[in-house]
Amino acid sequence: MSPSNVLPRAVARFLLLPIGMIAVAVFVRGLSSTGDGFAAGTVAALGVVLQYVVFGHREAERRLPVRRAPLAAAAGLALGIGIGFAPLLFGDPVFTHLPPAGEKVAKLGTLELATSVAFDAAVFLTVFGMVVGIVRELARAAEREDQEE
Amino acid sequence: MALYGLGGAVGAAGGAFFVAAHALAKSALFMVSGAVTQASEGEDRLGRLGGRWRTMPVVAAAGALAAAALAGLPLTAGFFKDELLFKAALEHGPVVTALVAAGPVLTLAYIGRFWARIFLGSPGEAPAGPRSVPATLAAPIVALGLLSVALGLWTVPLESLAAEAGSVSLGGEPAGLSVAYHLDARATNLIALGVYALGGLLLATYQRWVPVAERFALVALRFGPERAYVSSLRQANRLSSALHRVEVRDLRRRVAAVLVPCGVLVTAGFLATPTLGQYEVGPLDAGDAPLAIVLALAAAAALAAMAPRSQLVLVLVLSSAGYSLAAVFALFGAPDVALVAVLVETLFALLFVAVFSLLPGGALRREASLPVPPSRRWRDPLIAVVSGLFALAVVWGTLSSPVPPGPAISERLIELAPDAHAQDVVTAILSDFRGLDTLGEVTVLVIALAGVGGALSRRRSA
Repeated sequence: MSPSNVLPRAVARFLLLPIGMIAVAVFVRGLSSTGDGFAAGTVAALGVVLQYVVFGHREAERRLPVRRAPLAAAAGLALGIGIGFAPLLFGDPVFTHLPPAGEKVAKLGTLELATSVAFDAAVFLTVFGMVVGIVRELARAAEREDQEE
Repeated sequence: MALYGLGGAVGAAGGAFFVAAHALAKSALFMVSGAVTQASEGEDRLGRLGGRWRTMPVVAAAGALAAAALAGLPLTAGFFKDELLFKAALEHGPVVTALVAAGPVLTLAYIGRFWARIFLGSPGEAPAGPRSVPATLAAPIVALGLLSVALGLWTVPLESLAAEAGSVSLGGEPAGLSVAYHLDARATNLIALGVYALGGLLLATYQRWVPVAERFALVALRFGPERAYVSSLRQANRLSSALHRVEVRDLRRRVAAVLVPCGVLVTAGFLATPTLGQYEVGPLDAGDAPLAIVLALAAAAALAAMAPRSQLVLVLVLSSAGYSLAAVFALFGAPDVALVAVLVETLFALLFVAVFSLLPGGALRREASLPVPPSRRWRDPLIAVVSGLFALAVVWGTLSSPVPPGPAISERLIELAPDAHAQDVVTAILSDFRGLDTLGEVTVLVIALAGVGGALSRRRSA
């Protein structure tokens, strides 16, 4: 490890958790103010990208379970489809969210426990999984390139 | 289809019944022919098959059930489909009835022959093959064949299904339908008996009809629909290849193929619509100065993106254009969009760096030093001008279009947001009011991921 590398590595390591916190905050605040699942997913993905930039493909893969990224994207999509189309089973139109309008929403701190929030979480998962998955594919391709040279 | 044309309650509901019963039997028989072909090493000419009941008794039995149902023999669902057909036809007099009854006669003959040629007689020239039909192939045939018979014995499910479908096609009128076996000399039974007799006769005297059928087939081959079909298909294929050459030979053409038709058609649409109050230049206040400055910056960055010969500089210039646009959104009072724009721009800058790192170094410089072929010297600027003007026309026309009087939909959305338990309208729109849109967009993301994975892994194997 060259000395010039120490600072970025330390910063990247320290920043991972705060970035995750910010992503969660952007998500939770989503219903009441600026931010939503898409923005939160992008923030979280940027945190992972930072690890890739600083540590490189190999080490990032060792530190984080990024191999599961496509799974996260697929799970997000499945969750979204499920939430969107489940009301059909009860004879309601698609995307009828629960609880219905006018009723009180159970709250966990600032987070509202409603199906629209769960759908936002599905968006979060998909965006996060997609970005991390693409970054991982690109990093692997770049590494192969290096090996061939 | 003819049943729907005959009309009336019997016609509408009977049509639905016919489709259901016919589909069950026909799909079973399609699978029979598939299974037989599979087990005979690809032999699909009827003339070379035969005696197959020895190697595949289960398929033969299930196929017989399905064939009986298709031919409309009693105790199968097919019997009632023909009975309903005759019943509807009888309302239209004897000529129609005779024409309609000809269909089942031919069906009985051809389906009987189909089954007999495959399963009876002596084994044909085709290799019998040691293989029997795998259970996974036989099971659906058996299930469909049994279902055809079961629904002929217990008709309630098909009946209610068909009645419901019939009342829909009659526009809500109830289409009552009840089928049952009657052992008496009513007209439909007599017609059915006649059909069986004629069909059996046709089947028994098959040899005599062969020359007639062959001659007819020859005529049809020369002048019939098949020829027209084949030639139209060939022409369509040629057209598609030509388009393919024009469209996807390289990335530049691909972009042009999207932008130019889009630009021309949309611009034509804009020219054709009345534009009262559109395309007017409003006054520029001093308060607009920050917006104007940021927009000028974005435009300058976009223009500058043509110059760089280094990939890293190109990425930086492109993302500065994006960041300027994010600032525009912030100035417009759209913090949600501005936040997402900044995040996405950051992400894209990094992704662009990653993608460009895969390109050979100096690719841009080398490309720029190549002489431009004469054909492209005029084409590329033309494409750029057309698509640029198109974007200008759309944006200018939309933004300058006068606000129609009356309540705007955006106000309604803001009113409704608390009902969706959201104080933030943008989130309410994304996850609730237009959730289906969001789901579609998210699906695109997953497809994009799959595409990137596929493209890069193909690169690996190449």
